Amino acid sequence: MRRVIFFSALMALLIVTMMASTTVQIWSWRSQDAPVWKEVQKEMNAQGIDVKIDFRSFLPTEYDSKVQIALQGGKGPDIIYSRRLPGQRTQALIDAGLLIPIDDKVSLSHFNTSVLNFIKASDGKHYGVPFAVQVVGIFYNKDIYKKYGLKVPKTWSELVKNAEILKKNGVTPFFVPGKAGWALAMQHAMTGVSVLGPCWIKNLLDGQTNFLDPAWVHLNKLLNDLKPYYQKGFMGNTTDDLNAAFAFGQAAMVFYGVWGYGQWKELNPNINVGYFMVPPDCEYAQPWAYVFMDGSLALTSNSKHENMAIKVLQFAATPRFGTIFAKETLNIPAVKGATMPNVPLLQEVLKVAEEHASPYVYWVGSVLTSHSPSLYTDVLSPGMQAMYAGKITPEEFAKMAQDKISQWYKPLMKK
Amino acid sequence: MSIKKKYILLFVLPALTLYVTFVIYPFIYSFILSFYRWPGAGARTFVGLQNFKDVLFGSFGSEFRNAFLHNIYYFILVTILELGLGFLLAIFLVSIVKGKRFFQMMVYLPNIISMILVGFIWSMMLNPQIGLVNQILNHIGLGVLARPWLGDPNLALNTVIAVNVWRNLGFYVLVFTASLLDIPRELLEAAYIDGASNFKVITKILFPLTLPTFQTLSILLFIWTFNVFDIVYALEGAQAGPFRSTDVLGTLFYRTAFGGLGSSRADFGLGAAVAVLIFVVVMPLSLVYAYIVDRRSRNA
Repeated sequence: MRRVIFFSALMALLIVTMMASTTVQIWSWRSQDAPVWKEVQKEMNAQGIDVKIDFRSFLPTEYDSKVQIALQGGKGPDIIYSRRLPGQRTQALIDAGLLIPIDDKVSLSHFNTSVLNFIKASDGKHYGVPFAVQVVGIFYNKDIYKKYGLKVPKTWSELVKNAEILKKNGVTPFFVPGKAGWALAMQHAMTGVSVLGPCWIKNLLDGQTNFLDPAWVHLNKLLNDLKPYYQKGFMGNTTDDLNAAFAFGQAAMVFYGVWGYGQWKELNPNINVGYFMVPPDCEYAQPWAYVFMDGSLALTSNSKHENMAIKVLQFAATPRFGTIFAKETLNIPAVKGATMPNVPLLQEVLKVAEEHASPYVYWVGSVLTSHSPSLYTDVLSPGMQAMYAGKITPEEFAKMAQDKISQWYKPLMKK
Repeated sequence: MSIKKKYILLFVLPALTLYVTFVIYPFIYSFILSFYRWPGAGARTFVGLQNFKDVLFGSFGSEFRNAFLHNIYYFILVTILELGLGFLLAIFLVSIVKGKRFFQMMVYLPNIISMILVGFIWSMMLNPQIGLVNQILNHIGLGVLARPWLGDPNLALNTVIAVNVWRNLGFYVLVFTASLLDIPRELLEAAYIDGASNFKVITKILFPLTLPTFQTLSILLFIWTFNVFDIVYALEGAQAGPFRSTDVLGTLFYRTAFGGLGSSRADFGLGAAVAVLIFVVVMPLSLVYAYIVDRRSRNA
């Protein structure tokens, strides 16, 4: 009798274990994506795939080292949010065999080639499923613009004129988070694509010109001269301050990314936000948008449930995932064919991303940020802060860029 | 080996194991790593002294010098403020009759708050628009003094130091209080009977008799300030902004080891080289400290 009970219990345990869903762990730097994965799990379960998604997010500044240490130690999740290529961080994981190419596992037919280039390593293989496309530019409060009869500026001087009118009426024209060096780097880069134009950036990357070129110095001057239109004490503000101030109408414009929209709406559902590309400094030039692939979902070699992780990635490569992603985060999905939520701003930004994306850039997604000293970390972030604080001139800022990048970027060494 | 020696070894073993695991091994590992280029994953490349060359004279030379000078400035200011104020506050707390416990608790209270929390609290307090500090200045008619405290390159490091002093002062008050209570009361009574002023008592009796405490604390402060990281990270991030005006060797180590923003290079070898250089600076002083403590215990 005892033997029967024992074997029955053992069988029951075996059946329960077999029936238990497989857990796929995902690590990310984007805490806002948690609802996306809940929804994905629900949808996959409805399709008869018994998966449980364990989504964990970490501080963006600590994320990469956590991933690196975990994977190197033979641990870590099944799927990681991976930074775009070219980039030393992701490349190091690929070189160490810690990320697995997905070419023969996941169909990437719903992605544009330009997006796929950001996950394509030098071996020609793809390492991840792109999840979002980010667009940066100037976001403005439509109600404030309407109140003072302002129009979307076509040139830099029109932008300054708008700022002047706002300032005269006691409205803070721009809220700039001067304490967040990365946001200042982004401001420089999004202005650069329009003011310098993609051809100039291509020439820079080819070594036909360099950072000492008067055009680059002029760009620095334009930004430096915009300072009087920033909020008082802007050098002490963070992006959290920006989000709160802009959401509650304390400033008319921000140089920011489309990812901020969800938070502004959450803080103030009534905010009426518009978007425009940073205008060029010449009425005959066209503006350009800074568009970049945010990152991808990469399969790790330490995955304990590789087959199920591949199924999750296969789902993430479908338009349905894009629809869920856009609905939950109000971000633009990287996958084509997704149904966007009925939000005019997102439609507008998506159109700009498709029609006016600058083919050449020098901030994220650029080779100039992939080595140390990096144009991002070691030049634009501290350099913009230094220039805004009056510690260096626009000319000295240009020299700083040339000195640092020419240490390792061969095309600029000869200049 | 006698039984006694065996027992001694047995008792020492747990502590020795911990010491070797968490101090000796990481140190040796860091030292070896400083001769390699390693992004934290995959194979390491031996680069000899290149990392030291990069840190001292190459692409990170100016950042290293800048951070090193900030550490020295940090040490000088923190020593003057924390030891000076700590000593004076301890005298005050020893002298008062009423509310001694209350004041002691108030002074020590910030010390029990974690540095990250201190950073968060002060980031809010020092916000240029809505922060309490500028709000108070505006309300009492001193709005002209309101500043972006953590965003002004001329003020940022001093502000970080001020927050550090606010957080740690209680510890020094506590140590000085214990030291002052050790001074025989008869000495002070005799001095007052002979007509000594408070100033004379402080400078001629209290200060000389607490000098060993000053020595010990200043050496400890040297070691601590050259390893400072948490408060700078909590208030200004690893970028140690604005434009490295609050950069110290700890934040430079973090950036070089774990990489900067975006996709930029992480190099544990380069970080290890910075760590070894910090050790080279701190080690001689640690030896001096050990010597002083040893000499004092022999004299006692």
